[in-house]
Amino acid sequence: MRRVDLRLEHASGEVVGFFWNDRPVQGRRGESLATALLANGIKVLAWTRKSHRPLGYSGNYLSGVLARVDGVPNVRLDLFPVAAGVRVEMQNCWPSPAFDVLRLSRLIPSGWIQGGFEHTNLVPSGTALFQRWEAILAFLAGSARPATHTGEVAVPPARRLSAGRLVIGGGPAGCAAANEAAAQGLDVVLVTRGHDLARYARAAGLARPVLDERVTLVTGVEVFGAYREGALLLGAPHDPSLGALALEAEEIVLATGRRACPPVVPGMWLPGVMEARTALIMASEQAVAPGERVVVVGNGDQEALARRLRQLGVKVVAVRPLGDLRRVAGRNRVKAAYFAERIACDALVHSGPWLTEASLTFQGRAEGLLQLHEQRPCDWQLVGAAAEPDQPVPVAAPASRHTLLCPCFDVSSHEVQALVEQGITDLEVIKRLTSCGMGPCQGQPCWDSLRAWVSARSGIALELLARPTLRPPRRALSVAQAAGLADVVEPLK
Amino acid sequence: MSMPNPLPAKASIIIVGAGIQGLSLAFNLAELGVRDILVLDAGYWQGGASGRNGTLIRGAFSSPEWTRFFAHSCELWQGLSRRLGENVMYSRRGYTMVGERSATAGLLDRTLAVHKECGIHSHLLTPGRLREVLPALAHERVSAALHLPDSGVAPHHAAMHAYRRACEARGVSIHYRTCVTAIDQSAGRVSGVRVGDQRIASDTLVLAGGAQSNALAQMAGVPLDGYPMRLEAMALEPTRPLIGPAVALLDRLCYMHQTARGEVVGGAEVAERPQHTLNADVPVMAATARAYVEMFPQLGHARILRQWAGLVHISKDFGPLLGAHHALPGLFVSAGWCYGHAGAPAAGELLAKAIVSGQVDERMRPFAVDRFELNRPVVEPGIVLSHFE
Ligand SMILES: Cc1cc2nc3c(=O)[nH]c(=O)nc-3n(C[C@H](O)[C@H](O)[C@H](O)COP(=O)(O)OP(=O)(O)OC[C@H]3O[C@@H](n4cnc5c(N)ncnc54)[C@H](O)[C@@H]3O)c2cc1C
Repeated sequence: MRRVDLRLEHASGEVVGFFWNDRPVQGRRGESLATALLANGIKVLAWTRKSHRPLGYSGNYLSGVLARVDGVPNVRLDLFPVAAGVRVEMQNCWPSPAFDVLRLSRLIPSGWIQGGFEHTNLVPSGTALFQRWEAILAFLAGSARPATHTGEVAVPPARRLSAGRLVIGGGPAGCAAANEAAAQGLDVVLVTRGHDLARYARAAGLARPVLDERVTLVTGVEVFGAYREGALLLGAPHDPSLGALALEAEEIVLATGRRACPPVVPGMWLPGVMEARTALIMASEQAVAPGERVVVVGNGDQEALARRLRQLGVKVVAVRPLGDLRRVAGRNRVKAAYFAERIACDALVHSGPWLTEASLTFQGRAEGLLQLHEQRPCDWQLVGAAAEPDQPVPVAAPASRHTLLCPCFDVSSHEVQALVEQGITDLEVIKRLTSCGMGPCQGQPCWDSLRAWVSARSGIALELLARPTLRPPRRALSVAQAAGLADVVEPLK
Repeated sequence: MSMPNPLPAKASIIIVGAGIQGLSLAFNLAELGVRDILVLDAGYWQGGASGRNGTLIRGAFSSPEWTRFFAHSCELWQGLSRRLGENVMYSRRGYTMVGERSATAGLLDRTLAVHKECGIHSHLLTPGRLREVLPALAHERVSAALHLPDSGVAPHHAAMHAYRRACEARGVSIHYRTCVTAIDQSAGRVSGVRVGDQRIASDTLVLAGGAQSNALAQMAGVPLDGYPMRLEAMALEPTRPLIGPAVALLDRLCYMHQTARGEVVGGAEVAERPQHTLNADVPVMAATARAYVEMFPQLGHARILRQWAGLVHISKDFGPLLGAHHALPGLFVSAGWCYGHAGAPAAGELLAKAIVSGQVDERMRPFAVDRFELNRPVVEPGIVLSHFE
């Protein structure tokens, strides 16, 4: 393999050694395992569940950054900082990552495995073979070995925090909302998932906002769920040795920003495609370029993004409007992006379509269902980018097996098209027939892609196609962290 | 599974509720030769409890009444793929009931005696055998374990898919997103239902509305025991197999299994004021997580993918309310189900027979709709549920 060097000039000098599939590799202090692996030219970090397609660090598809770290499966490599001697191992391989027989499953015609394992009539139950067959399915679907047995697992105690105003999100808008309330003498808590404030804004070149010192700042915590009609929120630190957080507030402000969802075109799941926030933060904070030859696409903001990436030392070879992108090509990683012409590249950064984080607002106002009751209004305040309307998700014309709406479960637009043609347009039903969105990312972004596809194909307006129920905790919480909550949240009596 | 035709003006039988109870009944009626069966459901396919359960199929309990009924159902599950012509993926992986307190070991001894009396295949596991069946369990906490080798699980998406396809193949008309808003009567018996302005005539009506059963009974102007209760479950991120059989941790009111998709799915009951919502809450997730960490320490590191709630209809004795309604001719009920997934094949078969021939099977008789009025509750000590005091 040709040596790639994606490290930018401003990289930290402190080298830390760790292992990828038993091979020693080097990272730099302060970066995540996912970034360090990319800097080493390692782009394929995981395989999709059924067809064994390659996945990598994208900022969108969580399964692309899940690996075994020191005996614990499904650790998020993009959140785990490099540390000396850490052993990182690829999952969904058998018998080993170096000699992986499961790769043969790429040869299975995708029609055979549509609908997931649970709708196959190949070996019906009640036959002599079924238990054996089920065991094979469970082995394949499980992807990762269970955690190594190390005796009892400590339960980190949970904490309760209450505030006059709770602000979720530590970007400029969140800081401003917190400062304003602090100035009014309110008791303010600001929770952000980043380890520091305004990472994205700073990566884009803005100054670090100043937070009023009366604001209680909680960093490295993902607020993942709203309960009891929005009266109780839960958060969990990325570090699983720290306890979960139960949050209550008189006033809740969402400053959760937006994320760039992948447009629905063939190949958008390939390693090398990256969401703009992730790419920018990685290039700026961790000094690693998304690729050697980067194509930037966006919904109007592509020139600004390209300019900033170039300032940081990234080689941007083309800048185009998002809507012009036809497909991304490559077998195991991005090789080219197709517009009216072909542009050779090894990375594609997409700025948009920008969507807001929908799950907290959904849980804050839903009766949990779109079944027998109506949704209630949500009285939370939305500020900053979170208050802006969602951008439409571009949809490429023909259905294709290479357009994955849900890469974790290999659900393609081809498979969904077949359902739409039968008149099935209820997203809840499509979810249950295909398992679309039931993997580690729990429908984000897959349900947005699915919804855009079904709307484009059926002619049903987007607003009339409700997203399937957005359920917490979207893997933000470990079992041990959840166990700690028993002491701080009483059942309703 | 395509879009259904417009609603008909009449039907020979109308079933309200296309959960697993409604579909199993429709299938069995069609098998008995009934035509023009209409099934109406207010929500989406699998939107009710039948798409939200733990999928456990337990073929024996601690009372002879429950045991005889559910053993029959469990047997039907084993041949169900063949009968429906679609894979229900019934996994005969065994069901292990684990006790921690010594009092629970006593309950398991008495349960074993009931199983013997009913001719059920079950046995207590020695510590050595339990280690083979459930190697990942925290064995030092266990006082006794009773194993049901014929029981297991069937994924609800597979079962609901198979029942629906089998019904449609037999000409049953199923309409989702179609809410029954009124029940008509004339001359002292059922005469049809209404969906908004539209009237559909039928002299036979079955209420299989799950948690909405009381509301439906009210529409028919008849009494019905029970109330809606929220149950919750959660799924962990998948791994390769760690837990073989289905498991009930009796002292924690917790049940669980690892699905064919690798997710550990389960839930623990927590006493709460009955909730009429499909929003999940925190205490059940926390109690379930605590049960997992303590009983299967390797799960402590696992991440929770999602949690959800479903509504079931709970009767005074937790048993089903199954059969003709005594107060209104033409009206039948299949309600009160907290193990309605496990019980669906038997309930559908026996209720269909009762509707078509008027004969009430012995295994169904104890669960008659009017048993509380007659002061004949069925006492079942071995279920993982409790009423809120
Ligand atoms: C979390 C959880 C775990 C469970 N675990 C298990 C388990 O492991 N094993 C087991 O055997 N059971 C389990 N159960 C119970 C099981 O799911 C139910 O008993 C079973 O699904 C009941 O089936 P049903 O068809 O009666 O009800 P449902 O599936 O709820 O169906 C009732 C249907 O009636 C419809 N309806 C209501 N009102 C109207 C109206 N006015 N007009 C038209 N339609 C209407 C609803 O839309 C609904 O679809 C569990 C339940 C839950 C919630």
